[in-house]
Amino acid sequence: MDFALNDEQQLLRDTARALVTREWSTALVRAHMGDPSVADELTKRLTDWGALAEGPLVDLCLFLEECGAGLVAGPFVPTVGLYAPLLATLGDAEGFTAVTTGGATGTVAIADRTGAWVPNDGATKFFVPEADRVDHVAVIGPGPSVTVTGPVSPRFIATVDTSRRLFEVDAPPSTASTAPAVRLDPDLLADVQARWYVAAAAELIGTARSMFEMALAYAKQREQFGRPIGSFQAIQHKLANMALANESAWSAVYYAAMAIDAADPDRHRAAHVAKAAAGTAAKLAAKDGIQIHGGIGYTWEHDLHLFIRRFESSEHLLGTTEWHEDRLADLIL
Amino acid sequence: MELGWGPDEEAFRAELAAFLDANAPPEALGHDFAQDEGDGGIPQWARDWQARLFDSGWLVPGYPPELGGRDATPAQSLIYMEELAMRGLPRALHFPGYAIVAPSLLEFGSDEQQALVPAALRGDTVWCIGMSEPGAGSDLASLSTRAVLDGDTFIVNGQKVWTSYAMWAQMCFCYVRTDPNAAKHKGISVLIIDMDTDGIDIRPLRHLSGNAEFAEVFFEDVEVPVTNVVGDVNDGWRITMGSLAHERGGLWVQGVSGLEHALGDLVKLAKATGRDTDPVVRRKLAEAYVTVHSLRALGYKGFSSFAQGSSAPEHSYLKLATSEQGKALYELGVEIAGGPAIVTDNDWAPGSGRWMRSFFTSFASTIAGGSSEIQRNIIAERILGLPRG
Ligand SMILES: Cc1cc2nc3c(=O)[nH]c(=O)nc-3n(C[C@H](O)[C@H](O)[C@H](O)COP(=O)(O)OP(=O)(O)OC[C@H]3O[C@@H](n4cnc5c(N)ncnc54)[C@H](O)[C@@H]3O)c2cc1C
Repeated sequence: MDFALNDEQQLLRDTARALVTREWSTALVRAHMGDPSVADELTKRLTDWGALAEGPLVDLCLFLEECGAGLVAGPFVPTVGLYAPLLATLGDAEGFTAVTTGGATGTVAIADRTGAWVPNDGATKFFVPEADRVDHVAVIGPGPSVTVTGPVSPRFIATVDTSRRLFEVDAPPSTASTAPAVRLDPDLLADVQARWYVAAAAELIGTARSMFEMALAYAKQREQFGRPIGSFQAIQHKLANMALANESAWSAVYYAAMAIDAADPDRHRAAHVAKAAAGTAAKLAAKDGIQIHGGIGYTWEHDLHLFIRRFESSEHLLGTTEWHEDRLADLIL
Repeated sequence: MELGWGPDEEAFRAELAAFLDANAPPEALGHDFAQDEGDGGIPQWARDWQARLFDSGWLVPGYPPELGGRDATPAQSLIYMEELAMRGLPRALHFPGYAIVAPSLLEFGSDEQQALVPAALRGDTVWCIGMSEPGAGSDLASLSTRAVLDGDTFIVNGQKVWTSYAMWAQMCFCYVRTDPNAAKHKGISVLIIDMDTDGIDIRPLRHLSGNAEFAEVFFEDVEVPVTNVVGDVNDGWRITMGSLAHERGGLWVQGVSGLEHALGDLVKLAKATGRDTDPVVRRKLAEAYVTVHSLRALGYKGFSSFAQGSSAPEHSYLKLATSEQGKALYELGVEIAGGPAIVTDNDWAPGSGRWMRSFFTSFASTIAGGSSEIQRNIIAERILGLPRG
């Protein structure tokens, strides 16, 4: 039972953190709203890290956590987090290698209009991440079945998030001869979904950590009544609760990643726990993070809202906290 | 990062499991840690069991054999916690002697005092801890029970309160003020006080649950030999609540396992009462599952830093979170039980009143051993580095 990062894992995390800080910033996130191409340079730098899709989920999560902490935009996260594990499960060795060593990008189209990320027969798939700048889209239909297509002409969905772009994608007609639908064993899809949930949760705990760190730093620096606001117990206890929620969620995410890596029978429950715990922690960090900042936190100018926007999008993608709790209830009751 | 344990640990687990399966008394199995022990004193089976564990080297596995252990590693000690908790097995029904007094005497006591350790561990001597006073709870350092040196004897006057097991104890590990002129933390000493000494008056206090398990202890001109000072005079603050150092990485296990057992019972309760189809109940049970299982993972994370020799702040988080979550779980049990939740000791009531009893008892967990508010202060100031309030 070892939850400590080994030397390589620490190095991986530090490298990810350094790369994201060097190549990306909240200023670029703001610019990205009007001009998504500002993320191209970052995407190029991240290409080499496609190989993470081949390794343990724990390592991928360490990297994704930093992506979430730095609000990384572009196709990298959906490629390694969503698309690659699906291809691996489909046994599409060529497509998978294109991602891990060839810099190919992809995304997944499955969700319906209600935001349920489960196979459905809808002709249009919603909330497809970064669909206008990936090489491939894997569309999941009833069955479940998967069709991998080349670039598509998606319709942009305006959302609150400024750092992740979402789209509507039309499912290819079932008669399409170019890209036949491949049947997928539902149990195998369930394993892929568990990976998605944990990857999304890893990103979320990164975003939660950033919001918490901003609030903690502000509490130490901002003075009122002649002393730092962080000396007031009402503020201290909020931060203690945020820290506890973040620590718990972090542990739940890496437990789930280890359980998936070990094909442990607990992995499906653990994946739901991870996404729900991460969403819960991030919501607390967002709400109390704003409260601790006072008026400045409510401005467009301050960066905090960029993180809150990203948190809300991560929370609502791949199933909300409540959705995962309801799946868990089905498993435990 | 890796799940599971190595072969050494698993061999240790197997040996322990064989011992427990062959020896654990039936009264001890499935012990409900959320219930009071009652006011009948410490039952004989519990005394025998503690002695048995000590004699077989299974009481504190991290200690050497002469102290009831087998020089176990931190990982093995954690596995010990897991195996006991899984079976709902207590080691003893009075913890101060083996968990607090013994390790403190080993670290700070004179040779003569260290000779008291085996009996404290084996449970032959029952100890109580005299810290809290009417005027000194969370602010323990403001305690005012006075000890004045007269030749080679201290004369003790004052009052302790909430002293668990005082009426059954032979010995008290007692915090007293020996220098009223020094700064708060500087004038405190720890005395070993024989509870049979003249001038000690023990008045049992009932818990909210109805049972008397703690007491007020009054000291009037109680004579204590100066050789009974633990460590140096006026240096008692250093002897803080020592818990077993070897086991510090696994102290959370019992708490988290208790939550898991309670959660399992809640699922059964929901099914038995037909509330398992109620979406509100389902959502709340799942929420609790998320918290409890995240806490187990957090416990292992804390254990990993402990095993690497780092200070593990996770333990302050876990004390806070397990006690608060326990309250929430039993509250949910009361809610699911519905109208009959208020009925005590009747077979037709869900759990024969167990949920309300446990809910009441759980109030103590967020007060004793440092309240939740104090835990949050500690997290804020010592872990997060916020300025002192
Ligand atoms: C079942 C049980 C067994 C016990 N056994 C023992 C024992 O064996 N030996 C022993 O010595 N003691 C024992 N205690 C006492 C226990 O340690 C104290 O109750 C505890 O330290 C709190 O002190 P208090 O009761 O005086 O509450 P107070 O300190 O008066 O606290 C009252 C309230 O004020 C809050 N508060 C206090 N200070 C602060 C602060 N700085 N910031 C924010 N909030 C604050 C507390 O959190 C609490 O909510 C036991 C208690 C219980 C319930």
